[in-house]
Formats: sequence, structure tokens, C-alpha cells
Amino acid sequence: MSATLEVKNLKLKYNAFGPEILKGISFSVQPNDFFAIIGPSGAGKSSLIRCINRLVEPTSGEVFLNNKNVTKLGRKELRHARRDMGMIFQEFNLVERMSVIDNVLSGRLGYVSSIKSLFRLYLKSDIQDALELLNKVGLIDHVDKRADQLSGGQRQRVGIARALIQKPKLLLLDEPTSSLDPKIGKEVMGIIRTLSKEVGVPVLCNIHHVEHALEFSNRLIGIQDGVKEFDGPTSEVKKSDLERIYEMEVL
Amino acid sequence: MTTAILRKKADDLVNRRKKNRLVQNFIYALAGLIVIVSIQSTIIVDTDWDRIGSLAQIFKSVRRFVGIDTNLITQLFIPTVETFMMACLGTLLGVIVALPVIWFSAKNITPFFPITFVIGRAVMTLSRSVHEIVWALLFVSTVGLGAFPGILALSMRSIGFMSKITAEAVEDIDIGPIEAIRAVGGNRFQVILFGIIPQVLPVYIGNIIFQWDINIRRSAIMGLVGAGGLGLTLHRQLVMYNYAGVTTVVIAVLVLVGIGEVVSYYARKAII
Ligand SMILES: Nc1ncnc2c1ncn2[C@@H]1O[C@H](COP(=O)(O)OP(=O)(O)O)[C@@H](O)[C@H]1O
Ligand SMILES: [Mg+2]
Repeated sequence: MSATLEVKNLKLKYNAFGPEILKGISFSVQPNDFFAIIGPSGAGKSSLIRCINRLVEPTSGEVFLNNKNVTKLGRKELRHARRDMGMIFQEFNLVERMSVIDNVLSGRLGYVSSIKSLFRLYLKSDIQDALELLNKVGLIDHVDKRADQLSGGQRQRVGIARALIQKPKLLLLDEPTSSLDPKIGKEVMGIIRTLSKEVGVPVLCNIHHVEHALEFSNRLIGIQDGVKEFDGPTSEVKKSDLERIYEMEVL
Repeated sequence: MTTAILRKKADDLVNRRKKNRLVQNFIYALAGLIVIVSIQSTIIVDTDWDRIGSLAQIFKSVRRFVGIDTNLITQLFIPTVETFMMACLGTLLGVIVALPVIWFSAKNITPFFPITFVIGRAVMTLSRSVHEIVWALLFVSTVGLGAFPGILALSMRSIGFMSKITAEAVEDIDIGPIEAIRAVGGNRFQVILFGIIPQVLPVYIGNIIFQWDINIRRSAIMGLVGAGGLGLTLHRQLVMYNYAGVTTVVIAVLVLVGIGEVVSYYARKAII
């Protein structure tokens, strides 16, 4: 079975004269992985996940999605590749003044022409999918509400639906629960796990809280100061590994 | 030992404050001097005191303006409508032309920074630094008398204010939604449409209302330089020494401005 995502020796500097944020990271995500990236804040987790869909341009290294080299793609091809990667954000990143259903449908924008998006002309099948997803995440009673009228947990569920309506080959999650209180956060992680299993999409997830990583992932890597510190099945993580990954933070 | 250091620090602080107070007093004195010199040179020297005459004469001059020219009232209808339409069309044209200016002059979305940003900011500054009367004079001399040069003058003026405030709002937006639209594979247009416009729309609409309100005032004086509306009627009354007529026109302007004020107040409330 070939890997869904293959990251090779990824390096990143935001600024030619600035510090190296990622110092050569490699790992691969298999088709049925719930793959966690853990590490203290400032380690470079968000930067790493943004390099995969090139919201941030890596300085060097390669990213293969289903054997296609994403780092080599031109602008249009990159947009097409991004359609295959659903992303869920820490701060939800919804269009606040737009309705819940329009936010979910915005996940289809990669397939909609500019002129059609101006008039929000989505396919009927997309609208049906959106409603189905909203039903699954438990927001079917809030379809026409504006996103800014929802609670944090509800907003993140809109974010989940928006990512899933892309019918992605990979889900990228950047600390999806860090803006939520712990109980809601766990619910949200549960929904993500259930739905990703249901559609059979692998998940790559940044998590700051170790407990979530241990509970939900089957494989994880630790990042500390831009360097990979651990790579293995979640079941094999030892307490000493965690201490090493988070040693900077303890100080 | 430590008390000695502390005492020294306290002395330093006191000295610094003394020095600051000295500087402050100097600045106040300077400001006072500037005011006095300005009054002296502009009001005292520059005013033709002989023509102002005695208090009684001033009252006499003012009294000429008391009263309303009833014959004029029926003739005011068309110029009032013209003034109003000039304000509406000038605002409309201005806020539409402002769109590309906003696009060019917001740092984070300008298509090609070294060129488009400079063009955008230049248009913005030009529009803002030239007074509407000067714009009106310019357009009257290029497209002739009437409401059309007035509309152009008002729109030129609105472009600058509109694009400045909105471009700044664009520069301050939350990049979260932009990232989200890029991440789903959206193109540049879609990023602007979904990531940026919803965030700045309230600012943009608020400013349209504000500009419309101001443009009604500006519109009322356009006629003084031949650009149509109530200003033209006002000018005619002045040259005919019809002082009651002047008062009548001024009242019409006040009513129009008042309507603008009330409408914009409720419109602004409605969008919040
Ligand atoms: N857009 C950016 N420009 C410059 N530096 C950045 C930017 N984003 C993040 N950084 C820096 O990169 C480092 C890693 O940040 P980040 O990837 O957000 O870490 P994490 O998600 O693990 O908390 C931090 O030192 C941060 O200051
Ligand atoms: Mg982060």
C-alpha cells in the first residue's frame, strides 16, 4: 500500500535572513492513518501543516500527495491539488457574515468558476451533500443562521463540514480543538474521527494537548524547535519521549 | 547602599520631570505666539475695518437678509432636485470608481506592489488633496456648465475618502477566511469575494452613506462655480442683491441637508 502523503526533508524559513523554522522534516501518512503531530507551541507545527498545501511556501524539500509532487506544481495545478486536501483550522476561519450552508458550500469553490461563485451558483448535488454533512455534524437546525451567531463548537463543526464537502484525499487539521473548552474539544475530535473513518480519508492533525493525540491517533511524530523528535505508532510512545518533546516547554 | 541608589534614581526622575515641564511650557508659549501672530496678520491687518462700519450699520446689513422671497419658492424645486441628484450620482460614481483604487492601494491585495500600489495611492492623494470647488472649476472648464461637471467633481472627491478608509480596512482584515478559501482551491477572485469583501462590506457601506451625506452639502455649493443645483440659484440672488432670495435658498439647502442627515442616520443604524 503506497502512502497518501510523503513529506521529504522539508525545510522552511519565513525570511531569507531569519531563523530556520523547519529543519528538514520527513514522514509519511498511510491511507488509514489518524496521524498526529505533537510538540510545544512555537515548535513549527502550524508551519509544517501549511507547507503541505503550500499556504506557506517551503524553502526546500518535497511533498507528495498520492505520488504527485505538490511542491513542483504551478498555480492552477496547485489549486487543483488543494481541492484534494481539506483543512480545519484552530480559529475555524469561517466567513463570519455568511450563512452556515454557504460556508459549507465554500468548500466546493475549487470546482466552481469565478462567475458562478459570484452568484453562489452551486450544483444541486453539492447543496444536497452540504445538507447531509450538516445533518451528520448536528447542525441541520442552523442551516440558514449566520456563522457569527454560532458557538465555538458549532463553528468548528461547520469547519469540519466545509472540509469534508471537498471529498478530500487527506484532511489537514491545525489544532482543531485549541480554541474550544476541553469537553467540546473532545466532542469535536470524536466527530472528526467518526466522519473521517466513514468516508475513509486519512487525517494529519496538529495537536498541542498530548492526551488528545494519545487517544485519537494511531501514529504520531513529535516536533521540537523545527526538528522531528519521535516517529512511531502511538502505542509505542513512552513517557520519556513525551518529556523530551516537551522539555523546552517545561522550562 | 540600595537607599543611596534609590535616592539617586528619585533625583533623576525629578530632574527629568523638571526638564519635561520646561519643554512643555516652551511649546505652550510657542503655540500661543503662533495664534497671536495669525490673528494679527489675518484678521486685524487683513480686514477692511472701514467697510464694516459701526454696530448699527452691521445690524442694518444683517437685517437685509431677514425675510423670504416667496416668488422664488416655486423656482427652487428643480434646483433642489438637481442638487440632490448630483449628490446621489456623484456618490454612486465615486464609490464605483473607488473599487479599483481600493484594490490597488491596499498593500495585502494590490496585484503588483511596485506599480499598482503607487498608482492607487497617487489617485487617492490627488483626489483628497484637491478641494471639490477646484475639481468643479476644472470640470466646468472641460465639460461645460451644468450638473454633469458637478457630478464629476463630487465623485472625484469621494473616490479619495472612500478608497482611503476602505483600503485601510482591507489591510486590517483577519487572514483566517482568506487562508480557508485558498486552502479549498479557490482562485484569487474567490479569495477576494469570500475572504475579503464580507469583512469590509460594513465599512464600505457605512462610508457610502457618509459620503452621500457629505456630498449633499458639497453639492449645494457646486453652482457657485457654474456646476448646477441650488448653488447656482444662490449665486444669482447674490448678484441681483436679492437678500431675501439668498435667505430662501439657504433655507432650502438647510432642509435638504437635514433630510440627508436624517436618512443617513437611519440607514447607518440599519446596517449595524
Ligand atoms: N507568518 C510568519 N512569519 C514569520 N514567522 C512566523 C510566521 N508564522 C509562524 N512564525 C514563526 O515560526 C515559528 C513556529 O510557529 P508555528 O508554526 O505557528 O508553531 P506552532 O504551530 O507549533 O505553535 C514561531 O517561532 C513563529 O514565530
Ligand atoms: Mg500552531
